[in-house]
Amino acid sequence: MKWWLDFSSDAFIVAFFLYCASFISYAIAVGGKKWSNRKPAEHAARWGKIAFVLAAIGWLAHLTFFFTRWYGGGHIPTSNMYEFMTFLGMAIMFAFIVIYAIYRNMMLGAFTLPLVIIIIAYASVFPSEVQPLIPPLQSIWLKIHVTMAAAGEAFFAIGFAAALVQLIRVVDFTRTDKAGRRAQFWTEFSLYVIIVLVGFIVAVFAFRGAGYEAKFTQETVTIDDAGNALTSVGEVKYTLPPLVAPYNSETESFQSFMGIKKPLVEAPSWMNGVNAGRKLNTVVWSIIAGSLLYGLLRLIARKKLTAAINPHLSDIDPDDLEEISYRAIAIGFPVFTLGALIFAMIWAEIAWSRFWGWDPKEVWALITWLFYSAYLHLRLSRGWQGTRSAWLAVIGFLVVMFTLVGVNLVIAGLHSYAGV
Amino acid sequence: MGRYRKPVQYIILAVVLLIGGYAIGNSLFSKSVVLTKGDKPPGFRLADLNNEVHDMSDYEGKPLIINFWGTFCPPCRNEMPALQHQYDKWKGQGLELIGINLSEDKLTAESFIRQVGVNFPILLDKDKKTERKYGLKQYPTTFFIAPTGEIQEVVIGGVLTEEEIDKRIERLIQTKS
Amino acid sequence: MFQNTKCECGHQNPVGTVLCESCGKPLDEALLKDENALLEMRYDGVARRSQKANPHFVDRIWNFFSSVKIAVYLIVITLIGAAFGTILQQESTIINLTERSEFASYYKEQHGTFGVIYHALGLSRTYESWWFIGLLVMIGTSLVVCSLDRVLPLYRALSKQQVRKHLQFINRQHVVYSGELTQNKQEWLDRFAKELKRKRYRVWREDGALLAEKNRFSRWGPYINHIGLIVFLLAVLGRSIPAWHMDQYLTLYEGETRQIPGTNYYLKNDKFTIDYYSDEELASNQKGTKVVKLYETKARLYECTDVCDDPTREPVLTEVKQHDIRVNSALAYKGLKVYQNSFQEKVRFISVHPTLKDKVSGTDIGSFDLKMNQPAEEYKLGEYALRLIDYYPDFGLDEQTRPMTKSRDPNNPAFVFRIAGPGIQDQGEVYVYFAMPSEKSKYYETILNESFKQRGDNSGRFSIQVDNPIVDGQMNNIEYSAFTTYLNIRMDRAMPYVWVGAAISMIGLIMGFYWQHRRIWLRIDGDKLALGGHTNKNTYGLRADVAGALGKTGIAVDPKTLDNRRNVR
Repeated sequence: MKWWLDFSSDAFIVAFFLYCASFISYAIAVGGKKWSNRKPAEHAARWGKIAFVLAAIGWLAHLTFFFTRWYGGGHIPTSNMYEFMTFLGMAIMFAFIVIYAIYRNMMLGAFTLPLVIIIIAYASVFPSEVQPLIPPLQSIWLKIHVTMAAAGEAFFAIGFAAALVQLIRVVDFTRTDKAGRRAQFWTEFSLYVIIVLVGFIVAVFAFRGAGYEAKFTQETVTIDDAGNALTSVGEVKYTLPPLVAPYNSETESFQSFMGIKKPLVEAPSWMNGVNAGRKLNTVVWSIIAGSLLYGLLRLIARKKLTAAINPHLSDIDPDDLEEISYRAIAIGFPVFTLGALIFAMIWAEIAWSRFWGWDPKEVWALITWLFYSAYLHLRLSRGWQGTRSAWLAVIGFLVVMFTLVGVNLVIAGLHSYAGV
Repeated sequence: MGRYRKPVQYIILAVVLLIGGYAIGNSLFSKSVVLTKGDKPPGFRLADLNNEVHDMSDYEGKPLIINFWGTFCPPCRNEMPALQHQYDKWKGQGLELIGINLSEDKLTAESFIRQVGVNFPILLDKDKKTERKYGLKQYPTTFFIAPTGEIQEVVIGGVLTEEEIDKRIERLIQTKS
Repeated sequence: MFQNTKCECGHQNPVGTVLCESCGKPLDEALLKDENALLEMRYDGVARRSQKANPHFVDRIWNFFSSVKIAVYLIVITLIGAAFGTILQQESTIINLTERSEFASYYKEQHGTFGVIYHALGLSRTYESWWFIGLLVMIGTSLVVCSLDRVLPLYRALSKQQVRKHLQFINRQHVVYSGELTQNKQEWLDRFAKELKRKRYRVWREDGALLAEKNRFSRWGPYINHIGLIVFLLAVLGRSIPAWHMDQYLTLYEGETRQIPGTNYYLKNDKFTIDYYSDEELASNQKGTKVVKLYETKARLYECTDVCDDPTREPVLTEVKQHDIRVNSALAYKGLKVYQNSFQEKVRFISVHPTLKDKVSGTDIGSFDLKMNQPAEEYKLGEYALRLIDYYPDFGLDEQTRPMTKSRDPNNPAFVFRIAGPGIQDQGEVYVYFAMPSEKSKYYETILNESFKQRGDNSGRFSIQVDNPIVDGQMNNIEYSAFTTYLNIRMDRAMPYVWVGAAISMIGLIMGFYWQHRRIWLRIDGDKLALGGHTNKNTYGLRADVAGALGKTGIAVDPKTLDNRRNVR
């Protein structure tokens, strides 16, 4: 069993590097068209093909990772955050291959692969060891519900990727009026947000690699059923240098970082969730690392990132992208409905005795569904096609990601065992 | 088709109004289990210490006090003598008083009753069934039920003094059925 | 505003018609102005059912719900409202509180001022609030009205389509082709029709004009989906009918049988078992912690068949079902379901098996079973008789130092016996017996028996005790329950309808999203060929269909050039 699990993690690393190679090839395909002494169309087709083949092989390695882990771990690897996010990455690749088979649009790969790479790198932030299943998860519905829901979300991710390309493609940098500037700002901002997420991953791995650790003891006051205030002291471990200490805490150990020997500020008292201080610290670090990364890229490009990418997209038709985005969402919507709502209800009925209990995760799945329903209805009218519907597709995927990750980190509830 | 348009519209809107009204009404007036003044007390059928069955309906049209008590509850124990005194005083005027024991063993209830010298009927609840129907939160809880069959007052917790009981019985008796 | 609804082809259209129902010529003023703009093909350009020249009061309400714009607003408001409800814990998830005032103080203590505001606004009960239910009702209404207003005219329009359409109608579709036809007109049309038929189109022809159509059924998908959602919402509402719904919790220790309140059923917990993962099975960050592998209640369900309503007699029970209840495996019997909710590790005595000993002669007189729940009052041991005269399940003393029980649970059970038999004074001897083999209980036992002796109630000759109560940490001659199980009992008569609604909805979604209604209109005027194609989704696929069929019949076109949007821009 151990052998299978080791083999599985090797396959995962192979998949990760193949995805990276594929992304680089896509970048060459898109960016190198205007290189000297080659025909742009031929160049793009050739590198596009190489990139797709690399992505496809990467996906096979990813599948190998999945099934060997399943075999080695004894249960389907979709039971914690690490497993779910890697599965989501795999599902997005599947959705990408389906959509690519229909539309043969190369640009899609150039934007899907970085998304997949970020998602599986994000997955690696979480503990990757196989954990045995607790009783509520011991059900066939773990396989059915989680995989179906992820598949639906994967198509939404493709819709997001296509919409983002479309937005970058149609931004008009010559415009100086208010609406034009707003479009420029928000498109750039979307990229910035993605880079902050990369910054988070970079920061976590950099400090983990350096073996950084700081500890605090935190005093928390809870009020029990009888109304007595109970004080409990818990230990909070940081793996990123604490700029923000937990509320009401004492430093226990602190490795100094760049001359900082104690936390700069303490988290406010109203942030009283589990490990709220540490989460806030992580957010601060992500923004710092992301901003540094963004600044670096800006320095290299010497203009807005969207403006740097935009010229390379000139030969794609935004209408095609819009159609791809819409189609991906249209394919994903029934899958999502079935996997994330109906199967979820069936499982909830079996395990928790009620098909719907307004648990935060359930509510956010419903919100995602309502959001995409609104999107589909709005698209009926001409006024919401084009850029506006692209923005909806982008926001929709944000809602999806909040449902998957945000709810676990911020709100918790019954699904909290899917968390860190 | 056009001929039926109007009736169809009216019918659908009426159905919506009905069903929607029911749904919203349900959310506005969510029923609470706690009994209060003016409610009808739920029925019960329980055995007393002599294994005789008492039904709620046996007490229809009479001023009635139902006292829920248990030997494990000190205020319940302390209240018993006062209840017995008042029962002695008012039973001639038709007052009925029943003590419902809170699902204890018969022996436990019986030996306490013998000690205190209570002679009003003591009914034995089983499995907290009656207690639940009456939505009890604290012990003792005493229900004062007028001859009209409506709850006149619910006294939750605490020890009732003789005067307090007296005052309430007087009001009960005065209420015409 | 007066609008001429009569088309030049002579067809009289209802108010609100966008495209002539018969020939397809645009009627809407905006569409007439811009000759190049693509046609608005929603619902095939027919008027919505409720569009009228002079709306009446009821019509206005109807029109409100008939608008998709309003529907989208409702969806968006609902999703924002639902999101607000997830900011803080909902009241319904706080199990041990029930009163409004308790909740108010809970939110204040837990979340400070924000909690007070949140609770005061009623957001702590978002999903039960009148406004949220109201929104759902309005969405339901909108589903009915919107669908009805669109599906009927659409059905009429699609079932009596004209083959020959107005040239403007054809040339302003999303997918267009126009060119000279150099081949024989009839022959070409035959071949073209054959190609389309091969692609599963249904083809109609009318001298020099052609209409090809496929997957019309997918147009009904959204409406079937809406019907499913309405059934679903009604079923959910049906759960509020009291007789259709039951939800209660039952606490059972091992060996206990209890009636399920409000039913004729009794449930028994035979045994509760729990299993933890071994350290090898756990991940490294879990080692040393207790992770539950499995817990289950071995349960039996009984139905009362006789003496069900007589408090003086025990009911006659018949076993109807046996099941090991686990988290993902409920006991189900005739619509009644019993779920494993949680459990508590809690020792509770069920019975003990003590022995009556004669300390003087050093002999055992006999042993007997003593239950903690409704113990028998008489025990016969050889020549001796024991009579239980008092029982305190949880022994303690009240303010007047009278013995009492502190609770209804046998946490420290004390039994008072009167022993009668040979060589015993007439009124018998009184002994107290504590079942707990703990030092404290035995201390009480000794003191009390000593005081009885001083009062002359006993001679100290007898003792009641369990032999070897604890051997190797295991309790002996004592039957106890180690766990209390919490079961959730449910009945939901509306559930089948909920699933039916969900299934209908799913069928509609699949129909609507995985098939696309495609239509191709073609007319040949002289040697000029005009082709227009429309689909509600996936114009890409339609373009491929058209280009394929044209290519096979000798007109080579790149699918992309068929896209009319490009031409317009």
